Amino acid sequence: MARFRNKKKVAFVRQPKKQPQQQNVDPVTGDKIPRSFVFSRLKLPGSLKQLQADLRKMMLPYTALNLKEKKRNNLRDFLNVAGPMGVTHFLMLSKTGSSPYLRVARTPQGPTLTFKIQDYSLAVDITNSQLRPRVPKDLFKNSPLIVLSGFGTGEQHLKLTTIMFQNIFPAIDIKTVKLSSCQRIVLLNYNKETKLIDFRHYSIRLQPVGVSRRIRKFVQNHQVPDLRSLQDVSDFVTKAGYGSESEGDDEAATVSLASDLGRVNKASTKSAVKLQEIGPRMTLQLIKIEDGLCSGTVIFSEYENNGDKKEESEEDVEDDSEGDAEGSEEDTMDD
Amino acid sequence: MAEEVQMQEAGKGLRKRNIGHKKGKGKKKMKVHHGGSGQKVKMDGKTKKLFRKRARDYNSDDSDDENDIVEEEEPARPVKYEKKQKYIEIRKEKKQMHIENKEDDEKVSDEEMDDDDDDEDEDEDVDGDKDEDEKVHAGNDNSDDEEGIIEHGIMKFSEGSTSFKKAFKKIVNRSGTDAVLGPVLSAHKNLVVKKLAEEAAEKKVKGDAKKEKTMLGEKGHVKPDSFSVTHEKLLIGVATKGVVKLFNAVSKAQSSQKGLNPLRSKDAKVIQKRRKEAFFSELGKGPSASDAKVGSAGDGEGPAWAPLRDNYMLTTSKLKDWDKAADEPEATDDFGREDSSSDED
Repeated sequence: MARFRNKKKVAFVRQPKKQPQQQNVDPVTGDKIPRSFVFSRLKLPGSLKQLQADLRKMMLPYTALNLKEKKRNNLRDFLNVAGPMGVTHFLMLSKTGSSPYLRVARTPQGPTLTFKIQDYSLAVDITNSQLRPRVPKDLFKNSPLIVLSGFGTGEQHLKLTTIMFQNIFPAIDIKTVKLSSCQRIVLLNYNKETKLIDFRHYSIRLQPVGVSRRIRKFVQNHQVPDLRSLQDVSDFVTKAGYGSESEGDDEAATVSLASDLGRVNKASTKSAVKLQEIGPRMTLQLIKIEDGLCSGTVIFSEYENNGDKKEESEEDVEDDSEGDAEGSEEDTMDD
Repeated sequence: MAEEVQMQEAGKGLRKRNIGHKKGKGKKKMKVHHGGSGQKVKMDGKTKKLFRKRARDYNSDDSDDENDIVEEEEPARPVKYEKKQKYIEIRKEKKQMHIENKEDDEKVSDEEMDDDDDDEDEDEDVDGDKDEDEKVHAGNDNSDDEEGIIEHGIMKFSEGSTSFKKAFKKIVNRSGTDAVLGPVLSAHKNLVVKKLAEEAAEKKVKGDAKKEKTMLGEKGHVKPDSFSVTHEKLLIGVATKGVVKLFNAVSKAQSSQKGLNPLRSKDAKVIQKRRKEAFFSELGKGPSASDAKVGSAGDGEGPAWAPLRDNYMLTTSKLKDWDKAADEPEATDDFGREDSSSDED
């Protein structure tokens, strides 16, 4: 008598999913990957919260996009987490009565750069101002390039700022880098006269040069073109459409690619570099550099060029208030 | 006087809500009416007519059945009394209504009346006090002699009735129009208006505070505007220059390793070899033994995968001695650490 075998009920145990090991080191170049936290000190108004979210998005992929901070979290909490997580940089937003501030610090020892945000625009504002905002889906999968311009004046604090921002994003090895991973660029432009830093964030787009707009669109969109107005098919190729002024590519913006990039940009042809802003946009003013992490001796101050007098008292106060006495003695500067 | 007194009594009763007393007063009032009806009130035909006309005018305003009935019942009555009686009738009516109503309702209305500082109410109070005093006085003098009271009352009656009439008319008129806002005898309307105004003022203050707060929070927040386009273009130009520089450098560096994957060890060796060749060709020398040594000392034959290299994780932090490296020439444009990595080879 055939019977179904009584199946034993075996509890199905799902194997715990192995979390992909966080890579602290780039697999190709072997450089340490810098990671960052973007968070706020004290409570921020709505627009600054949005700015914080934008900054986090900009710092992708090596940042905590959904970092939750509580009111009682102080700097030390973040610092304690930063060690095991391999976080190397802190971006701290704060707000006083006069203006918002951005502090960029390296963990765990500093230095800390304090910027006053003169004015800022959110990514939403930028998007709203554009006719055709462009956000490809893998835009934030790779870290941005960084371009620092106008910092070569030879001043110490600017040099430090340069190094700081260079190290915030992973280094690029030009021998191994894939051009397809270069999707975004962060520009920091120092204005000597006003001493302000323009902070911009662009997306990079490459277009083949020397092809009429119609054909380029045809290749890009993969859609049947509208041929109603044409007498012959050959007109579609030969007839030049309207070209806007920006179409007349200047030589400076064209590159010859090392490898094929997507369907359109072949290595053999020349391509034009087009940048489109994605925000946020900030105008920063460097006002202070401290040796430690939000503490320590003041290396540079915008308002008092030689902060020798105030150094000690300030140090004491901040050590007390912050509660995280860093080993700033080791790194004290010899001026 | 008697009528007036009674009336005021009735008013007083209304205010005090002394229900037990009311019936007795009603009876008393009736009695007074009886007494008053037969009395001689000197009046010629002219004045009679005039009063009648006035009474008609008055009645035309509100078509009260009972008033009509009263007139029908006693057409020959002196007009003054008629009028007076009408008031009384109305009063009575009200009183009865109140009696019929439950006590709760009365309390509510009572409270409302107390709360509202209506002009009419105060006027009435004054009148009432005066009349009460008079009544007491009259009671002491001749409690049973009604004629005396009436004689005394007529003088006062003509005086008080006009003011009372005005007040009452005002109230009656108002009750028709402002039925929505509350009971007849209350300044509910004023109160509501006052409250609304207060609320509005409060809201305004709150709104101002909120606005100020948001303004403070929004400080520095700028929407991109059209007049800064030239500056933006300049910045885009700078960024574009940087990107072009980088891409050109990349293409130059990677031109030797087309089609090879740096992650594969086989390809990596080839790449290494080609790089070295390129390096030496730049130097204008052949790959001599000593040069090879130098090359191996620098980056050497290290495996492609970073962890297998000797100097893995030992990359020096630039920040530690940033000030010592001051004598190094700095380029105006830097792309990550692209320069440094190219210098290594």
